[in-house]
Amino acid sequence: MVEGRAKMPVVTVKIKRLKKLISDIRVDTALEMLPFIGLDIEGVDKETIRVEYNPNRPDLSSDIGIARALRGLLEIETGLPKFKLAGKSGIAIRVQGSVCKVRPYIVAFAANDGTLQDETLKQLISMQEDLHNGIGRKRRKASIGIHNLDVITSPITYKTVTGDYSFRPLNESSDFSIDCILSDLEIGKQYGHILADFDRYPLLIDNAGKVLSFPPVINGQATRVTDNCSNLFVEVTAIDEDTAEDLLAILAITLYDAGFDINSVNIESGKKTSKTPRMTQKVISADVSYLNNILGLSLGAKQMEHCLEKSRLDASIRNRKNIACTIPRYRIDINHPIDIAEELAIGYGIYNLEPSFPASYSVGEKNSLSVHFNAIRESLIGLGMIESLNFLLTSKEVQYDTFDAPPPKHPLFVETSKSIEHELLRDSLIPVLLKSLSYNIHEQYPQKLFEIGKTFLKSNRMIEERWSVGAVIANTESGYTEIKSAMQALLRSCFGREAITTPSTNHMFMKGRSAQVMFEGKSVGIIGEITPLALEKFKLRMPVAAFEINLLPTIKDK
Amino acid sequence: MTTAEAFHPIERSILYALSNKDNLSIDSLAANTGLSIDQIRRGIEWLKFKNLISVEQFSRQRILVAPGGLKATKNGLPERRLVNSLKKGKVNIAEVLAAGDIKNEEINAAIAGARRNHWIELIEGKMIPTHFADNQSPEEGFLTKIIPGIEISKLTQEDRNVLEEIRKRPNYVLIKEEKETLISLTESARQILPTLNREEYEERRLLTPELITSGKWKETRFSSLDVEAPTPVIFPGRRHPLMEIIEEIKEIFIGLGFSEIEGPIIQSSFWNFDALFTPQDHPARELQDTFYISNQTQQPISASKDQITRVSRIHKQRWNRGWDVREGQRPVLRTHTTPVTVQHLAKVKSDAGRFFLIDKVFRNEKLSYKHLAEFYQIEGVAIAPDASLRELIGLQKEFYAKMGLTRIKFWPTFFPYTEPSLQSMVYNERLERWIELFGMGIFRPEVTEPLGIKNRVLAWGGGLERIAMLRFELDDVRELYRNKLAWLRGVPKCQL
Repeated sequence: MVEGRAKMPVVTVKIKRLKKLISDIRVDTALEMLPFIGLDIEGVDKETIRVEYNPNRPDLSSDIGIARALRGLLEIETGLPKFKLAGKSGIAIRVQGSVCKVRPYIVAFAANDGTLQDETLKQLISMQEDLHNGIGRKRRKASIGIHNLDVITSPITYKTVTGDYSFRPLNESSDFSIDCILSDLEIGKQYGHILADFDRYPLLIDNAGKVLSFPPVINGQATRVTDNCSNLFVEVTAIDEDTAEDLLAILAITLYDAGFDINSVNIESGKKTSKTPRMTQKVISADVSYLNNILGLSLGAKQMEHCLEKSRLDASIRNRKNIACTIPRYRIDINHPIDIAEELAIGYGIYNLEPSFPASYSVGEKNSLSVHFNAIRESLIGLGMIESLNFLLTSKEVQYDTFDAPPPKHPLFVETSKSIEHELLRDSLIPVLLKSLSYNIHEQYPQKLFEIGKTFLKSNRMIEERWSVGAVIANTESGYTEIKSAMQALLRSCFGREAITTPSTNHMFMKGRSAQVMFEGKSVGIIGEITPLALEKFKLRMPVAAFEINLLPTIKDK
Repeated sequence: MTTAEAFHPIERSILYALSNKDNLSIDSLAANTGLSIDQIRRGIEWLKFKNLISVEQFSRQRILVAPGGLKATKNGLPERRLVNSLKKGKVNIAEVLAAGDIKNEEINAAIAGARRNHWIELIEGKMIPTHFADNQSPEEGFLTKIIPGIEISKLTQEDRNVLEEIRKRPNYVLIKEEKETLISLTESARQILPTLNREEYEERRLLTPELITSGKWKETRFSSLDVEAPTPVIFPGRRHPLMEIIEEIKEIFIGLGFSEIEGPIIQSSFWNFDALFTPQDHPARELQDTFYISNQTQQPISASKDQITRVSRIHKQRWNRGWDVREGQRPVLRTHTTPVTVQHLAKVKSDAGRFFLIDKVFRNEKLSYKHLAEFYQIEGVAIAPDASLRELIGLQKEFYAKMGLTRIKFWPTFFPYTEPSLQSMVYNERLERWIELFGMGIFRPEVTEPLGIKNRVLAWGGGLERIAMLRFELDDVRELYRNKLAWLRGVPKCQL
């Protein structure tokens, strides 16, 4: 349950505007309540609050959406947020069949008589980018175009064109062909790969020949939006219909809340005509007892309704056992009664949940591997060794180049690691232990380190994960004798049996000073004096002796 | 009256060394006795206390030639150079200056010096050197004499007069103040010296097995040891500090009735993502966030056909796209410990139980002072009929209390496989702010139903390294894995 490392999207909320959106809310109230709708406060200054939100709530990608949710929790405005389509815009989009293979779906609406000034345009742009990166899956799944409605003439055609088609892209001073856009413009290079499999490209063009956009790459300069615009045309193209509709709905309600009139657009595809945006709300029913049970509460029907309304749902109890919830169109994350439970908890207030302490009927215990490893750890500590912890991912340089040895037949590299020092799963502990020694050349000797950890080996097309114990002793007169005594002491004290060493060769050890560790007739590890070739490469000045033993065979035999 | 027996070997050596001398400096004492300066200082303190030596501090002044004076000795004092110039045929100051033999600022000193030494006489407006000019002046003699440096007290009266004169010249001499400590025996020391010499007992340092078994120890006098002397520093073996924290947390879990489980690091995408309600096109599954193993595009999924079918059905219902089994077959380095937990629950199918694990997880990150590519995750799950969110909060409070954390708050958050989901924040006194601790939630029905897990599962977890950094007051998370002995040897085992 560790937070996703992908950067969470951020919304910058201007405090002055927040006060307008939520009748004069006090800043400290806002700061206190924002986390309770799932927002992390990134930073606060005199004029703004920056918050991080989870991309499963795309409706929170603008200050308008945040204010809508906060108004509910603060009980300023509860229940389903108001939304009504003003009427028909009279605009139609004619969809040509050729888009089916490339980017089949398009939905749109017109937003009239509103204002983009006072921060709304900024919020819209930031929202659009977040939606592109999140649900839009970096525009591949869906992308949004927002245009100046005043310069557009219906009907609009959604079709495909060849690469030599030219138009003036947004913010450019001349026309570019589509091929040029894809090869020369930054944005073309960034998103062009989405269209790599095709030789015809989607284009949205109005009746007068103005290019609205070349989805998903770039809009046309002709329909550019400035903050003076009061009439907008909003379209979403996609490879998934539901995603397109969801995005459109979120944009519709955001612009509605920003003061625009939302008017529908006709989508004509073949013989079918549909009207978008489709804002039908779903209704989900849940058992009252189920909801109470999950949260550990015993709320009455009225109370439950009230809490759900604070989460901006409409709720009505049916026959005392069942509650029917109407879900706002923009809540694409609520699909199952369990999601209702979370809304109920938020509406109730997480801060109001009292902890409860059920008795445990189970007795806890350590896993047997843990117990064995602890015994081994204690024996080695008793021999004066200090435990080190190294990463499981290492580099080809540390594992093999330092010994002038070739990597094994099937080295376990990971794809495109961001750190070259972590590109390979280790097959042995000894090299990483030598690396640890190399950080300590100015520390007092003798230095005795050990590690109990996993090593990886590919055999028979399967990857084997092994538990190993490795130890190194570095000292002016370190040698085989000392390390062998230690290894035997370890196995004797842990397992009560003697280990034998038989001559062998290993690229890590000096010739003639290398052996296999035999335990109960099986080869379980290696032992020897480290070759000076490696000592030099690790910049060590002391001789080092080492052993490494695979633990599971030894543990199993006991 | 102190007897010889009571003397420490250091004291004895010092007394002997001073026995035929008036006094010695600390350095000379060390040289004579072969003891270190520290040992001499200790011995002196003890003997002073016993009133056997007296310590006097002297201050000496030494004269040394300074750079200006050295130059003058080499090139000649201004008055010498004046006279040499005159001998070459120059007849007045103007000509001497023009010849470059002396500088403008040296004229006065040159003339004064030359006159004082009777080296020149003025005849008809011309300067003529006398026969005295061939002699060395007292200043010249003095400068040469003091080149090796000389104590002021050793100067003759004549020397002192010349010194006065030389000191007027710029940067010719340097006077250094040196302090010296001289040690001498007191009267009472001199009186007991004879007894020191008549040492009858043989002194021994080592008590040997032979002395013990032969009984000769009864006749042997054993020397005292310098019990205050420092000894070589040695270091005990120990657990890695991160392992110590892991052990502590394991004990806390066990005390709350949790049993430890473990599982493979390499998991199929099916268990790491699909079974955990994460759609196949979720950004976290991309190369830049997750480690995929090269040349291992597919591995059979270790799940039953039935499990795979049910999970894929959930995906198709929820996200209107096909579910690709090949995507599920891609092995990854697990990005969290939850695939291990959920497989365990699916296997044992218990009605009630508590399990935990603390083990490594991997994210394709660039390492920095606060991010690692592999780190330890703590995860706990509790399964019970009717397990509720309030119980989850209760479990958290109990757990944190055992870690000594009491100022906790909970906020809603999001994870793909839990609903409701919360995160806990703990107040850190040292940093004076709230810090994110663990994420938690109830497993979604979409996760538990396909796997036949009937009862509700409470789950929580978080990264371990952050806790370690707070405990050990580290600023760079990578320090935990550098294994620098200075740190490993130094971290106290008892954290109060």
